Amino acid sequence: MNATGIKFGLGLYTALFIVFLYGPLVVLGILSFQTGPEGGPQFPIIEWSTYWYRHLFGLTPPSRIAPLPIEQALVRSLTLAVMTMVVSTVLGVTAAQAFRRKFRGSGVVFYLIVLGMMVPGVLVGLGMALVANAFGIDRHWWGTAFVLHVVYTFPFAFLVMLAIFNRFDPSVEEASWSLGVSPARTFRKITFPLIFPGVLSAMLFAFTLSYDEFSRTLFASGRDLTLPLAIYGTFSVEVHPNVFAFGVLTTLFSFALLGTYAILMAMSVRRARRVAIQEEA
Amino acid sequence: MTMAATSQDRPAEAAASQDGKRSDRTFWLLAPGVIWMLLFLVLPIAMMVYVSFWTQTTFKIEPTLTLKSWITFFSSDTYIGALWTTVRIWLIVLVATLVVGYPAALFVGLFVRNKTLSTALLVLCVIPFWTSFLIRVLAWRPMLGKEGAINMILMNLGIVDQPIEVLLFSELSVIIGMTQIYCVFMVGPIAFMLGRIDPSVLEAAQDLGAGFWRIFRTIILPLSMPGVVVGAIFVSVMVLGEFATAAALSGRKVNLLGNIIVTQVGSLKWAFAAVAGVVLTVLMGIVVAALLRVVDLRKEL
Amino acid sequence: MRLASDWIGADVSAVLQLKNVHRSYAGVPALAGIDATLPNDAYVSLLGPSGSGKTTLLRVIAGFEPADGGQILFAGRRIDGVPPHQRGIGFVFQNFALFPHLSVRQNIAFGLESRVVDPVTDVKIVAGRVRDMIALVGLAGLEDRAITQISGGQKQRVALARTLVTEPSMVLLDEPLGALDANLRTRMRGELRKIRERCGVTFLHVTGSETEALAMGDTVLVLDRGRIAQSADAGTLYSRPASPDVARFLNCFNIFSGELADDAFVSPVGRLALGDARQPSAKPAYAIRYDRVSIRPKDAAPAGDEVRIEGSFVASEYSGAAINSFFALDDGRVFEVETHLSHAAPENYEERGRYALVWKKEDSLVFA
Repeated sequence: MNATGIKFGLGLYTALFIVFLYGPLVVLGILSFQTGPEGGPQFPIIEWSTYWYRHLFGLTPPSRIAPLPIEQALVRSLTLAVMTMVVSTVLGVTAAQAFRRKFRGSGVVFYLIVLGMMVPGVLVGLGMALVANAFGIDRHWWGTAFVLHVVYTFPFAFLVMLAIFNRFDPSVEEASWSLGVSPARTFRKITFPLIFPGVLSAMLFAFTLSYDEFSRTLFASGRDLTLPLAIYGTFSVEVHPNVFAFGVLTTLFSFALLGTYAILMAMSVRRARRVAIQEEA
Repeated sequence: MTMAATSQDRPAEAAASQDGKRSDRTFWLLAPGVIWMLLFLVLPIAMMVYVSFWTQTTFKIEPTLTLKSWITFFSSDTYIGALWTTVRIWLIVLVATLVVGYPAALFVGLFVRNKTLSTALLVLCVIPFWTSFLIRVLAWRPMLGKEGAINMILMNLGIVDQPIEVLLFSELSVIIGMTQIYCVFMVGPIAFMLGRIDPSVLEAAQDLGAGFWRIFRTIILPLSMPGVVVGAIFVSVMVLGEFATAAALSGRKVNLLGNIIVTQVGSLKWAFAAVAGVVLTVLMGIVVAALLRVVDLRKEL
Repeated sequence: MRLASDWIGADVSAVLQLKNVHRSYAGVPALAGIDATLPNDAYVSLLGPSGSGKTTLLRVIAGFEPADGGQILFAGRRIDGVPPHQRGIGFVFQNFALFPHLSVRQNIAFGLESRVVDPVTDVKIVAGRVRDMIALVGLAGLEDRAITQISGGQKQRVALARTLVTEPSMVLLDEPLGALDANLRTRMRGELRKIRERCGVTFLHVTGSETEALAMGDTVLVLDRGRIAQSADAGTLYSRPASPDVARFLNCFNIFSGELADDAFVSPVGRLALGDARQPSAKPAYAIRYDRVSIRPKDAAPAGDEVRIEGSFVASEYSGAAINSFFALDDGRVFEVETHLSHAAPENYEERGRYALVWKKEDSLVFA
């Protein structure tokens, strides 16, 4: 399109849009360096300090502001995210593998799986709590909450793998069979390496969604808090900049995760390219 | 020869058994996922519907079937009010995300023809999602508060003398928060659809002397519609199930159906919570079914 | 001893036998009773128009799809119902289906190392066999290249080498030249034949191109609507197609429908004199090869043993050593004449001018 004026206007708008997306986070980041314990979660910054970061790790003298209960919660959240990631990726890959062939009732199964990401967490969470009550099951983050996390992340893994298999040429598998290689070994040596980038994306999706999930966990996890529940708990009380400091840290953690993913991706791409470069030399 | 003869005598259902093996394989591949979803998704929802007809006593529910909870729900101004608030906020946020998101999607998907740059812009939009959802909600408090960033800027610029108090702990703050959090789900699908438009079509239209608005109305808008619908499904599903944004930013002034469920569960009123849950499920079902009639989600993927 | 082995060789001279093989998709038959026998150590082409079921047949033989009925015997053993990796039949795909994450060498070594039956675990033996195969197909020097870094013709060779190195007794090739450009296609034809002769395996080469099928196959199978319409060597097929449909696929016959009267064939363009060549057929038809017709001025008188019709000239088309001229007959049908330029200099025909189209009646072929 060569409508220069419109293009300029829209470009400017998009810049404002990005400010809109990032603004609150930037403000949150700035306020996390408020002095403490007397400094509140608002402007102006009385004095720049890392007090609230130290407060998070229990490195400040005791004050009237209770430290966030993050240590245990962090371990639980990470364990839960890894469990969810593994199970939902395995389920996603197997289900998508089944969908490569047409079968009767595929429409019903497709919508049953996709329903998992559509139904609000508060509904499944409530339902799960009711089921647990009725059957006398104790609610735990590693039990009732875990299965709900998988209900939520499995559809994402499934859709990612479905998209990958849509672009996957099945004749390479047939070629492998016709060379006398068993289907199991073909999957390991041919199919899996080729879909690996997709598997990695499915894992990343499942991990981050589970790590951040709280509405399902709220009703289904029992007494022990996960990280998002610990943050949710601060909503009803007065907010202090320690929550902001914590937000900055979790964001950094997520970026580290994203960075790891990018590096793994780049490595698998480069491995394919290295052979090509060798031959150029 | 005998070998060949016996092998030929083998029952002729060899082909049938191979077909059978294939459907067996499909069955075993699907069984774990389907069973998981039936047990942990369908069963809980069914349980919720069932419990909504149970008898609620002060702190307990009993499996004696009754319509009492339903009658209480629909004769209570609080609950009916929550239903209408949910519908109102959903509609406003849906329109707001579309209005706020569409121009950005238009720029990223259509005007930026450099693939790297448009991908970079989309990534830039998605990056905030790697911050905890709750932190992003909470981040609006220091923005909108009485001593927040926006009021500070407005006062320093001399636009207002007094801080605007309605910014935080009001319906407005909930709408602003939700719009910011969910508009990316609108931008993504629309930008994706716009990116698939063949630029030569637009150039041809320009060569024929069509102005921008005409091209927008006749080509761009219709072609982006599937993206709008997919985005609307995303946003609707998420906004209808919301309670955290309202809890964090409205100061209990805005009660959505989700908030009703949370408070009812908190006071062990399981049957009332279940009724609210069923109402919310029905509402979502209607909205999603209506949107799915417009576009086949499976085909767009 | 020598005699005995010859005797056994003769006994299993058919590497593949298909008996009444059926396959249908949602009730629509793709293969409607295929019967065929493929000899050992031969180049067999399978010719069929698109939709005739040729790819389906190949996939059923390879085991990628099950047959609904019938028997498939490979080297004397019944293989319908046997999964593809236990059949020992090689397959070369139209798109080559190379493993994109492996190098040329790894692609070729993959089958030897990973197969279920008799895998080769000794790295040195694998390396040696792969080296020999790379030399055989002419890929020396490209061993370490990535699959994305080689040309279409080279990919074709890798696909072939990858299959041949596992020493199957039969290789199925699904339009193996379809993805190559015209020049390369002609060159690969010769190479494919040479490579096959050196390995002594049977090739079953599927193609939709009649020239390719005729040029390459020792035997040509013609597939029509899910049945084998004819199985013959190229010469026989070209001079005596078994049915009007086969003649039509060969794309070198003018075919008239009509009725057989006592001494002539009654067609919409008139009575056509008969020669001796007859083929039994349910649908009566009269066929004359493009290159058996001569074009003469309208008023030239035909000789006693000649058949003559009239047509008006439409257009002509050069194709290398021949020129194809098209005439519109009185019933509107197009009649094609192929004139070899070695026989006569090209003539310029007048557009819409009337010409006599003449052929010897012995050259005609009658289906009745």
